Amino acid sequence: MSRRLVVAVGLTAFAVTATTAALVLFAHDFQPEPLGDSLGQVVVDGIWIACGLVACARWPENRTGLLIVALGLADMSNQLYWDAAVPFTLATLVSGLMIPLTAHLFLAFPTGRLTGRVERRFVLSAYAACAVLAPAVALTSNPLAEDCPDCPDNLLRVVGSSAASDAVDLVATIAVAAIFLTLAVLLVRRLRVARGPTRRALAPVLLAAAAALLFLVAATIAEAFGATAAAGVFYEGTGFAYIAIPIAFLVGLMRTRLQRSGVADLVVELGSSPRPPEVRDAIARTLGDPSLEVAFWLPEEGRYVDPAGQPVDPDADPGRAVTPLGHDGNRLAALVHDPSLLDDPQLVEAVGAAATLTLENARLQVELRAQLEEVRASRARLVEAEDAERRRIERDLHDGAQQRLLGIRLALQLARDRIGDDADVEALLAEADAEVGGALEELRALARGIHPAVLTDEGLGPALGALARRAPVPVDVAVNGERFSPAVEATAYFVACEALANAVKHAGASRVAIDVTRTNGRVAIAVADDGVGGADLGGAGLRGLRDRVEALDGRLDVSSPAGGGTRVTAAIPCA
Amino acid sequence: MAWTVLIVDDHAGFRGFARRLLEADGFIVVGEAGDGSSAVEAAARLRPALVLLDVMLPDIDGFAVARRLAENVSGPTVVLTSSREAEDFGGRLDRSPARGFIHKDDLSGAALAAFADGDG
Repeated sequence: MSRRLVVAVGLTAFAVTATTAALVLFAHDFQPEPLGDSLGQVVVDGIWIACGLVACARWPENRTGLLIVALGLADMSNQLYWDAAVPFTLATLVSGLMIPLTAHLFLAFPTGRLTGRVERRFVLSAYAACAVLAPAVALTSNPLAEDCPDCPDNLLRVVGSSAASDAVDLVATIAVAAIFLTLAVLLVRRLRVARGPTRRALAPVLLAAAAALLFLVAATIAEAFGATAAAGVFYEGTGFAYIAIPIAFLVGLMRTRLQRSGVADLVVELGSSPRPPEVRDAIARTLGDPSLEVAFWLPEEGRYVDPAGQPVDPDADPGRAVTPLGHDGNRLAALVHDPSLLDDPQLVEAVGAAATLTLENARLQVELRAQLEEVRASRARLVEAEDAERRRIERDLHDGAQQRLLGIRLALQLARDRIGDDADVEALLAEADAEVGGALEELRALARGIHPAVLTDEGLGPALGALARRAPVPVDVAVNGERFSPAVEATAYFVACEALANAVKHAGASRVAIDVTRTNGRVAIAVADDGVGGADLGGAGLRGLRDRVEALDGRLDVSSPAGGGTRVTAAIPCA
Repeated sequence: MAWTVLIVDDHAGFRGFARRLLEADGFIVVGEAGDGSSAVEAAARLRPALVLLDVMLPDIDGFAVARRLAENVSGPTVVLTSSREAEDFGGRLDRSPARGFIHKDDLSGAALAAFADGDG
């Protein structure tokens, strides 16, 4: 809304109010109510209109002010009832607008825009019902014949029958009841899902409206029971609460906008180059929307990620508004926030501009983190794929070559049983048998080195037990029967194998101890020997192990002072 | 007396050699089975005194077959066999109701008869 339009609305509203007041003052000889009441009503509506104009002037892009003005004007037309025929007829047509305007104002608050599809359809239907019913009332209503014998005539009346008038009245009453009931349901629903600024804005308005409604209900009940004095007091209360409503709208609008002053603080706060989550917190604080999320755009990957580097879809929730941020046409990030912030686009833009540099910085951090996360995940996947491949090879060796060699061995044994007393052939067969036996042994050792079956089937404890029994030196194993993920078990096992092999081959150890403990979501395996120490920390075996352990986010430490034994420790997350 | 034997192994070649080896040592091989479920079925049908049971089978493993066979108190004496070593199975051999374990390298009529004799 342009400033000129605001002024025009203001002047029109002022003219209408002044005219109405004049009519009430000077042409009310037939009025059914005391002059004071009618004038009081004009003043109340004047307060509505004034509040609406303040809102229009202060936040011209928000239609809330215009709706408040319209509602005040529509209500004021009721005061024209007690006057000449022309304004009276006009009032018959216009005053019905109060109903759809009320629905529109409450549901569009605080942004001034109807967001939900249900809300839009409902408000549209309310206007349509008003467009049909107001003329219908105007064409049938005959106030002279009914409760207002002193009223001026309804100029539009073409149907004389009071039956038609009653029928139209009944339909209108049902329509009004239905509209208010639906409005109440939609408002309750809205308040329940509203977050942050919307909730803060809605609270004072609904409080004032609820107070007016309660006073009205109390007055009606008191009147029904004949307590006239009490009813009078309650009606007074209704009046005051009704005045409070437009003021509450102003307060609500202000509450969504108090944050403007925070932009300066934001600039200062962002000057210290905070980390991505802190950038989000600062922006959320400045915009007064604790539910605000920042999604960073990664141009290389063509997707949004959250401050932790996880992929997100800013448009996932239709109930949230998305404001893209960027500069020079480059997409940088998106703010996912409460829709009520949209009616102050300058605030969001100011915050976006203040945060651009920091967001760019944060985006780089997030990008790096997302890439690291991806690398870490792919390393872990590689380890898992390697394990699966090792298990497959072990099984293939077992099922294939090993079984065939066993068959040959049995055949040789059968042949030896049947050869009789040919010593040469017997010797040959015995030799062949020994060769096959050796091949089987080597094959078995190879398979075990690739991936022992006992590790897959029974877990780390039994696998380490078997490793210890085959070792050429005494090995003490301390481990319980707990199972971990295959990758963790295999990694811990290979650490033990490598450390044990080094202890026996290079360190000349006479005794080795293997300890497996679980603390704080990590498995720690420690292999200590009493050898000569001085292990080659850069050796291929240890380096491969370290890569493997680190691929699982673990840590490998080797302490090997010359002459002081070697201790290899690996800690791997296992939660 | 001559023992009746059911040979269970998914390698036909191994079953053939084992049959000839055991028959040469005086066993009566009453049948062969290539997987766990047909082993359970064959044991019920043929009622052998002994079952030479490979641990690694394509459907249910030898330990599960041994447990099924042990459900019948008058069932056969089960001897597990594998080309893996006993320690590769951790505690599962000890927990199995099978009478014993023979490494495939060591398979012979005498080794099997040792477990069969233990039966009574």
